[in-house]
Amino acid sequence: MASRDIVQYDTGLSRLLSVLAKVFLAAYVVWTILPFVIMIGSSMKDLLQAFTLPEVGDWAGTSALVHFTPTFKHYVALFTEESFGTYLSNSLLASVGSALLAVILGTSCAYSMSRYEFRGKKDLLFWIISTRMAPVVAVIVPLYAIFRNFGLVGTIPGLILAYTTFNLPFAIWMLKGFFDNVPYAVEEAAQCDGATRFQATLMILPLVAPGIGAFLVLCILFAWNDFLFATIIGSGAAKTLPAATKELVQPQNVQWGKIMAAGVVTTAPMMLLGLLIRRYLVAGLTMGAVKE
Amino acid sequence: MVALKIENVWKYYGDTVAVRDLNLECDDGEFVCMLGPSGCGKSSTMRMLAGLEHISSGDILLGDRRINDLAPKDRDIAMVFENYALYPHKTVAENIGNPLRLAKVAKHEIRKRVQEAADLLEIGHLLDRKPMELSGGQKQRVAIGRVIVRQPQIYLFDEPIAHLDAKLRARMRSELKHLQQHLGVTTVYVTHDQLEALSMADRIAVMHEGVLQQFGTPAEIYSNPVNAWVAGFVGEPAMNLIACSCAQEGNAVNLMHDGFKITLDDRLAKAALSSGERDLRLGVRPENVRLTADPDDGMIAGTVFSRQLLGSDMLVDVLSGGDHIRVRTDPKSPFEADEKCYVSFDFDHAHLFSAETGISIV
Repeated sequence: MASRDIVQYDTGLSRLLSVLAKVFLAAYVVWTILPFVIMIGSSMKDLLQAFTLPEVGDWAGTSALVHFTPTFKHYVALFTEESFGTYLSNSLLASVGSALLAVILGTSCAYSMSRYEFRGKKDLLFWIISTRMAPVVAVIVPLYAIFRNFGLVGTIPGLILAYTTFNLPFAIWMLKGFFDNVPYAVEEAAQCDGATRFQATLMILPLVAPGIGAFLVLCILFAWNDFLFATIIGSGAAKTLPAATKELVQPQNVQWGKIMAAGVVTTAPMMLLGLLIRRYLVAGLTMGAVKE
Repeated sequence: MVALKIENVWKYYGDTVAVRDLNLECDDGEFVCMLGPSGCGKSSTMRMLAGLEHISSGDILLGDRRINDLAPKDRDIAMVFENYALYPHKTVAENIGNPLRLAKVAKHEIRKRVQEAADLLEIGHLLDRKPMELSGGQKQRVAIGRVIVRQPQIYLFDEPIAHLDAKLRARMRSELKHLQQHLGVTTVYVTHDQLEALSMADRIAVMHEGVLQQFGTPAEIYSNPVNAWVAGFVGEPAMNLIACSCAQEGNAVNLMHDGFKITLDDRLAKAALSSGERDLRLGVRPENVRLTADPDDGMIAGTVFSRQLLGSDMLVDVLSGGDHIRVRTDPKSPFEADEKCYVSFDFDHAHLFSAETGISIV
């Protein structure tokens, strides 16, 4: 790829804009990070301590926000009193399961959509993406009825199916772009080298791996953070973390400590995942966009 | 021994005919070029040979095996693609060794044979690189390496050097020719470049609009083209094809043109008369046209339209009677544009084609 300079010359206005941009970015960072700081801090504080706020103007008192004796009792309580272990594994099963299913089905469908020409292909592609145009709320009631008839409500397979339904169209569209970018001649060459049609297809999978990886992560994120399906389809036996956290808000007692700890338990794995695969995620998401 | 036999092969894409009743035989160890402009059916033919396209009708035999319905992997062929089609995520060594890996050859044997192929192609030092780190010429060598690492019944080359620069192309022509002779494997080579075909092939199959026009040695194709289309396509600069009408006056047979009237020699006159055709096209290669400043009997007057120095030759374009006559002449030729000049044809190397069918009369 050819590198190039983006030529810019300073003027008074551009300098002012650059300062303003920095101020805005600083404020934005505080705005984004602060909820996490409060969440993590409060999850490790005694309830009384968590609600202690300094008086207005008492700057010395702000040190109480960061200086405290950490306690892990909320976390312990989550896993002993509230069986968050089960919810965590439910979340993991539902998100990873649906992501894998969507990727397997999506990859094969995207491959055929990319390689084969058939009548009505464009219409089919549009129909596939159109299923994502309606908001989840609009279809949740009929979906619930269908799922109940099949005995899928309140089960992990039910959740996996629900998430797959919503991830699959996205998978097909995104992965089709990746396959389009791999010349078919590579597969033909593999066949001439002595590969079967199927082996030849497998040989090009490493070329779309960044796309598959990026999509896998997006699927997991979607399912992990989902609240609507989790409360309606998964309610009861297949409770995931967000649904379980909501139940800590009870009419007579809002269990702030546990809620904060649950927030950390829910957020941390995805943040870790994000950090680990950040490089690949960016590569995967931009690779399909630019043709060589 | 016949290594490859194509019998009455047709290829349709929907209602479009890409290959029309093709018949071709290649001998064992022969280097056959399929030559033609884009869309002439040469690539379709090659892809049918490789098994990448279905054969609409007809038979393809490799040795005495009918391969129509075999998958590419069962055909015992190896193919080099126009865009190289290397595996971008594999190293050069893995690319070259891939056919052997798929054939489940032992690892140490693969390593040995990859090294041999790479040494033969002078890319032994690049084995650990990825295709992205290679130049066009090196990629092309890797693609060839992937083919010569095994001993198939037939090599297929689909315009393998079309994307290289002119200098490298000239070098690869000679290397490929040498390699093919050295390995002795029957080779079918598709190209649109007549120079490649003339310089490399044992025999050339010239195709046009899905029809095989002529199949013969480069010398035959060049000296005795079967029709005006082949005559015009093969050879650079192209043969002059001048539309004339033929008329007998007494004993002489004349060709009449807006710019000139010339009397044919015995050989051409006999052929022209026995064909019975009135409208003919005279075909003369630029090297068989003589250019002078002084008029003589039977010479054609014209003016110089343009001149192009080709290095060892000069190509002078002479305008006469509304037709351009290309003349290959000495690079020191003194003629300038718009200058008056005279040309004469060497009838020993001239051809006559029917204006209607294009078929060669002589």
